[in-house]
Amino acid sequence: MKMFRKQLGSLSRISTQLQRNVIASGAASRTAEMSTNVAPALDAAALDEFRTAVANPGEHSTLQSAKFYTIPVEQKKQIFTGGGLPKQYEQQIKTFTETCLMVRSPALELLQYIKNADLSKPAVRYVLYGENGVGKTLTMAHVLHYGALNDFVLVHVPWAPNWMKRPKEASNASGQEGFIDLPFDAAAWLVHFKNQNAQLLQKLQLKTSKEYVWSKRESTPAGASLIELVEHGIARIKYASETTAALIAELKQLATNNQCKIMVAIDGFNAFFHPITRIFSDNKQRVSPDRITLTQPFLDITNYDWTNGVCILSVDKIAMTEGYMDSYMPRYLLGKEGFEHLDPFVPIHVKNYTEKEFMSYISYYLDRHWISKTPPGFEKQLKFMSNMNPYTLMQLVRGL
Amino acid sequence: MAANLTRLLEHKLQTSSAVTAQRCVRLFSTQQQQSEVNDDEEFRVLNLRTVKQQARRREIKKDAVQPPRTSRMAVDQDWTAVWSGPRSFHPASVPLPLRQGYTERGAAAPSKYANAELMKIPNFLHLTPPAIRQQCEAIKKFCTPWPKGLETEAKWKRHFPIEVLSTDYCHSLPTIRHPEARRVTITLKLSDLQFDAHAKDKFLRLVGERYNQETGVLTFVTDRCPTRKQNYDYALYLLTACYHESFVTEPWEDTKSEADMEEYHFERNQAKKSAEAILNWNSKAEQKVAASPSYATSVEQLINEGENEYNLAKYKEEVLKMLKITV
Repeated sequence: MKMFRKQLGSLSRISTQLQRNVIASGAASRTAEMSTNVAPALDAAALDEFRTAVANPGEHSTLQSAKFYTIPVEQKKQIFTGGGLPKQYEQQIKTFTETCLMVRSPALELLQYIKNADLSKPAVRYVLYGENGVGKTLTMAHVLHYGALNDFVLVHVPWAPNWMKRPKEASNASGQEGFIDLPFDAAAWLVHFKNQNAQLLQKLQLKTSKEYVWSKRESTPAGASLIELVEHGIARIKYASETTAALIAELKQLATNNQCKIMVAIDGFNAFFHPITRIFSDNKQRVSPDRITLTQPFLDITNYDWTNGVCILSVDKIAMTEGYMDSYMPRYLLGKEGFEHLDPFVPIHVKNYTEKEFMSYISYYLDRHWISKTPPGFEKQLKFMSNMNPYTLMQLVRGL
Repeated sequence: MAANLTRLLEHKLQTSSAVTAQRCVRLFSTQQQQSEVNDDEEFRVLNLRTVKQQARRREIKKDAVQPPRTSRMAVDQDWTAVWSGPRSFHPASVPLPLRQGYTERGAAAPSKYANAELMKIPNFLHLTPPAIRQQCEAIKKFCTPWPKGLETEAKWKRHFPIEVLSTDYCHSLPTIRHPEARRVTITLKLSDLQFDAHAKDKFLRLVGERYNQETGVLTFVTDRCPTRKQNYDYALYLLTACYHESFVTEPWEDTKSEADMEEYHFERNQAKKSAEAILNWNSKAEQKVAASPSYATSVEQLINEGENEYNLAKYKEEVLKMLKITV
């Protein structure tokens, strides 16, 4: 009798699912019909209820919230080649063969602020904060995509703590006494900058304002294009740090003169205010981040003394080291100095998934055939085990 | 003649000596006869080591145990007369079938007789409700009526903010002075005193440990003078002196730097400079705008109270308002 009832239950569940599918497919086909004149290239199958065809972040609104949009391959290549997406997310992208980002409320909020911002006013600093693995970096990626599409010059540091924690090489700075240069990291950043902005710089034809003398024989004359400056830095790795400083100073000045607009995005910004780094100076003592030549330009560009720009910074527990990771709150992570540097900033809290976002993510995984076993109640189990934390969910459903 | 005389003398001597000899013999023989008689009864033992004669134990005469007093107690007796003050338990005086103590499982707890457990614990047999009532009645004649208008604690606290605490000691010693009796404690709420910001800060620094941050109560304990009166006067003097001293600003107090500040003040900090620099970006010298007080309080709250979601949300709201970012 009991068994019979159980079977009956499963039967009814199947029937409800069938009904739901009918409704869903109907809705999908309807939306497909509606959007055929908007995006004829997209086929109806791509428009499941958890996806949105609006690929321009500038057009995202609460209508698209908790839905996935796809970043085209070439744009992804342009923006995120040098980093910007978490490593494991990158792997997932590779597995799913598409770059999908979920439209989430912090990103929407941030986009709203940026769209409504008065660029003639000093640059506003937005600080993303939240627990580990809630999607601060991906929120930033979403906004970066917006910036790239809307002619912002991107000054993007994918993960600032890399410079303090595991630099490729550290040498004494030639120009400034007692400072440490990270030539390879600076050059890598210049390459990243060039990747992201080459087309835009070509278009804007930005020029340097003064002559930079690197050595007796090398110099960049005033009026040279920024691309030349960057390429010099990449070619002459010894001067990469100084080039970075020069480039950022130039960009700041150009933006203030209304020749371009800049989006600064620095992930793990609080690493600049960490008391120590893992770099040793000549006398075998750990240096503080402010003795690294790369720190100053990025602190300068996050200051409020320029216009035509937005700064999106994220503060992260992981950017700190043991003993400084008690809270995810910005004031704690930035410390007194960092808070004074950024104040007044707009804190933006990135939270765990909402119910809707969670279900949407589950359907995305099902669509990608990533979750293959679906015993009844598996969503509930995943929800319980991951606490709706994006990173934990990704870890739970990952392959072996 | 002479020869006769000597003969006579000799004779006399001979006879006398014979008599003595005879007597001696007789004496000796009589002694021999007596000892023979003793030997017949007991043979004496030569006692070389003198063994002490064991003193015979004296029998202690105990009085007959009286039946416990409780058996003779009247049901309606005056208990306060039986147990007038604090004392340790006595089984014969307490007409209660008390039991106390540990036994093996199943057995009843030991009875009250010869029970050390009952004697160890303090008892309140002298503080029965009738005893208290009786004592209250007795001291009633020394009491005055409670003043009108001071019925509740809130009312009397308003009129008498200072609480004075001292202890009297009753003891049986040749001296009636007790060293602890001179100690005087005065307490009052800090909110009963009126300060400005500087004075309050200075006052708290002056009193130091005497102020309890959590309860807001100020406590002075004085015991350095020999009498209570002097100590009381001294405590009040301390309070008065600290209060008035806190309103004095010394010239060196202006050198207090940011690191010495116990609280974050918006006015003194970088936050004010940054906010005003942003607000007055590209504006003329005469049109300077100051940061709004609500922004200032939100920053102060964020730093002083510590970060939490509420304070941060408040800060965000104020920043958005100040930077004129439309949501």
